[in-house]
Amino acid sequence: MADRPFANSEEEQPLGRTCEESQQRIEALHRLSRRGLWGLLGFILLTTAAVQVSNLVPDLPLSVRQTLGASPSENLISIALAVYIFSALILILARMMGGTKTYRGWSHLGYLSAFYLFYYYAKALDQNFWAVFAAGMTILSLEYYGIWSWCSEAIRREREHLSQLERKRQHGLGG
Amino acid sequence: MLRNLAARACVPVALAVTGFVIVCCMLLYTTLKRDLIDDAVARETSLADIIVKSARYTMLKDDRESLRQTIQTLGEQQGIEHARIFNKKGVVMYSADSGEVNTQVDKVTAGCVECHQGDKPLTTLGPMEQARSFTNARGTKVLAITTPIYNEPACSQGACHFHSPEASILGTLDIGLVQTPLEKSLAALQLKMTLFCAMVLILTVGGVFALLRRNVILPVRQLLSFADASSRGIDAHPPQGAEEVEALGRIIAEQGQRYRETAQELQRIKVKIVDLGKAAEGSDKP
Repeated sequence: MADRPFANSEEEQPLGRTCEESQQRIEALHRLSRRGLWGLLGFILLTTAAVQVSNLVPDLPLSVRQTLGASPSENLISIALAVYIFSALILILARMMGGTKTYRGWSHLGYLSAFYLFYYYAKALDQNFWAVFAAGMTILSLEYYGIWSWCSEAIRREREHLSQLERKRQHGLGG
Repeated sequence: MLRNLAARACVPVALAVTGFVIVCCMLLYTTLKRDLIDDAVARETSLADIIVKSARYTMLKDDRESLRQTIQTLGEQQGIEHARIFNKKGVVMYSADSGEVNTQVDKVTAGCVECHQGDKPLTTLGPMEQARSFTNARGTKVLAITTPIYNEPACSQGACHFHSPEASILGTLDIGLVQTPLEKSLAALQLKMTLFCAMVLILTVGGVFALLRRNVILPVRQLLSFADASSRGIDAHPPQGAEEVEALGRIIAEQGQRYRETAQELQRIKVKIVDLGKAAEGSDKP
C-alpha cells in the first residue's frame, strides 16, 4: 500500500483557494474540530441520564422482564465491552495514522448507551458503571484528539496559504 | 504545544493505552469481586446447612434449651453478627440476642421478601437468593443467609411433638456474618491492581516515549540542527542512526555542498561583473 501524505485529497490542499474561500474553510474546520467536544458533552449527558434512570427506576417491572426475556450474563457484557474498546481504539488509531478527517463519535454514543442499557437490564450497572464511563471517555477523547489535530493541521495550512496570498497582494501579484 | 513530534506520537498512544488498561482493570476487579462474593455466599450457605443439620436431632427431640444454647454459642463466635431461628409465622423463637426473642419479623424486609413476595410463599431458593447484604448499626457490612428448616416425616410423626404433614417449612435459620475479611481482601486486591495498572502504564507509555525519543525525536532534532548549520555554510557531520536518517543527512549534506558551490560561483560572477564594469569604465575614459 502506498504511503499516504498527511493532506490526502485535493480538497484538503489550500493551493488555488481564494482568500474568502480560505476564511470560510477555516470557519468550517473550527466547527469540525468542535464536533469532538460536542461528542464528549453528549456522552456526559448520556451518562447523567443513565445514572438518573437507574436511581429513579432501580429495576424494571416483572412484566417487562417477562416480555424481554433473560438478560445476557454480566460476564458476557464485560467481555463485549473489552472487545469493543479494543477494536474501537485500534480503528481510531488506524484512522489517525491514515490522516482522515472522519469523526465517528456519534456511533460510539450509540454503542456506549447500549452497554449502559445491557448492564442496567442485567442489574449490574452499579458495579460496572465506571468501566463504561472510562471506556466512553477514552474513546471519545481519542476521537476528539484525532479530529482536533487533523483540523489544527489543516487550519495551519490554510493560515499559511492566507499569509502567502496577503504577501502576494502587498507585492501586487494578485490573489 | 501539541504540534511537536513527541506530543503527536505519545498523546494518542498514552490515551489509548491508559484508557484500555483502566477499563480492563475495572472489569477484572468487578469480575473477581463478584466471584469472591459468590464464594463467600456458597460457603455461608453451606455453613447454615451444617448448622441446621447438626441441630436436627435437638429439634426432633424438642430440646428447646439445648437449641437455645446452640444458637447462643453460635452467636458468640467471632465474625457472627447475628444468629436466630424464627417459626413459620415469622416470630423469633431463638436468638443470640435475647432481646429479639418473641418479636415478629416483617415479611417485606430483605431476607423474607424473596419468598413472600408472591401470593404463595416459595419453598426453595437458590444460594444467591438466600443471601442478603446490609450494613448494621455499627457500620459493619454483613452478609446474611436464610436457610429454611424443612418438614420431615420424623417431625410430623414423632411421638414427642408433631407438625402438620402439609407444612413444608417449619421455620428459618437466619445467620449473619461480618464481611470485614472479605472487604479487606477486596481492598488489598484493589490496591494491587491499581499498582499493577500504574506500572503497566509507566512501562508502556515510558517505553514508547523512550524508544521514540531515541530512534525518532533525537535524530530528527540532529537533522534539523545539521540542516540549519548546512544552510548557513557551517561544516558539520551528518547525524548517525537509522538508515533513513543517514540517507536524509547525506541528501542535506549534498544540497548544502551544492548551495555553497552555487554561492561561491555567484560570488565569482559578481566579482567578475564588478571587474568588467570597472574595466569598461576605464576604457570609456578618454
